[in-house]
Amino acid sequence: MKTNKRSLWILSVAASVIVLAFSSQLHGQTADMKPSDASGSPAKEWSVQVERIDAGHLDLAPSLQVAIYENLLQKLNKTKQFKQVLREGDNKASELPKLLILKTTVVKYTRGSETQRAVTTVSGATMLTVQSQLITRDGKIVLERTVHGNVRFFGSNLRATHNLARNIAKAINQSNLAVARASDRDTQLPTVNAEVTK
Amino acid sequence: MYRLFALGNDKGGWRARSALVSLGALLLYSGISALAQSTAPPLNANTAFSIRAIHLLGWPNTKNNCKGILSTQDNLLQFQQGGKPVTQVDIASVRHVFLGEESMQVGGVPMKIGKAAAPYGAGRVVSLFAHKKYDTLTLEYVDSDGGVHGAIFQMPKGQGELVRTQLLARGASSRPGEGQAANQDSSGVTHEDE
Repeated sequence: MKTNKRSLWILSVAASVIVLAFSSQLHGQTADMKPSDASGSPAKEWSVQVERIDAGHLDLAPSLQVAIYENLLQKLNKTKQFKQVLREGDNKASELPKLLILKTTVVKYTRGSETQRAVTTVSGATMLTVQSQLITRDGKIVLERTVHGNVRFFGSNLRATHNLARNIAKAINQSNLAVARASDRDTQLPTVNAEVTK
Repeated sequence: MYRLFALGNDKGGWRARSALVSLGALLLYSGISALAQSTAPPLNANTAFSIRAIHLLGWPNTKNNCKGILSTQDNLLQFQQGGKPVTQVDIASVRHVFLGEESMQVGGVPMKIGKAAAPYGAGRVVSLFAHKKYDTLTLEYVDSDGGVHGAIFQMPKGQGELVRTQLLARGASSRPGEGQAANQDSSGVTHEDE
């Protein structure tokens, strides 16, 4: 009986020691993660204002322009890279000290056809190529990318805008470093030129 | 001989009767369709309207690609997805209205699967005929903070023009920079390509 009690006591002590050890380990992990999260998203201090799509000299349907704009806002919000994602004309933009402006200009557009795609598979692709620029208030270019968005096989023409917005958001997300540098050196901003092909 | 004549006469009578019946049916059909056309209410710009539409993207608090009813009430443009609360935008805040036309494949995913499964490339032949033209209505409006929003609706062919007219009559404005294009087009709204 006595030995039973003793062994029970030893077991309970051992269990509590194990629980304590695990909890401290978990706490250590979370404590380790916090600073890395904070250091991993320096662009989080920045907000971005998305401008409407500039079709340039191309005959781009207004529905496609609106679809790119709306999809872009949606995708940028999803990345959670920026503190706020604002629309063009938003009054709140003037109150934000760290604001980047995202300009998107369509440089190439090939009009496709869903029926042609469905019938032939190889032709009728809708292809969009845009130049995206992240610009500071004083007009300095922080990031410049050429991004493509296509729909080749299945889906409506609007799907190209969805793919394009996803690629632009991805390009901005990958260039987190450039935005970080911009936040460090507001006076001498590096320009990042690249091309993203999807 | 008489019998033959009688037979021939019978045949002729039968033909005449069938011709009369088909003529009557044709007249009846055309009369009904004319009646249907004349009984369609004249579209007054100030009367409320509601049409079935598919919200493609951009409307506040509404899922993309969902079916619903697009309607106007007073100076509000409303969209209601079946059974869900109405979401609305002040028509005066609509800055641009664009009308477009899109040809899309019908049948959705089941049709796509069926076409893919059809042997000897029969699915491609089906695709040739399984498409339908729709009107797309693109709106640009501003929120209370001044932020620009865009929304796209898809509706049966011919309905887009009706909605556009209603919106313009109720205070929606067309693109200011497109005054010249609007004059050329005599509609105040650009028409998209397919």
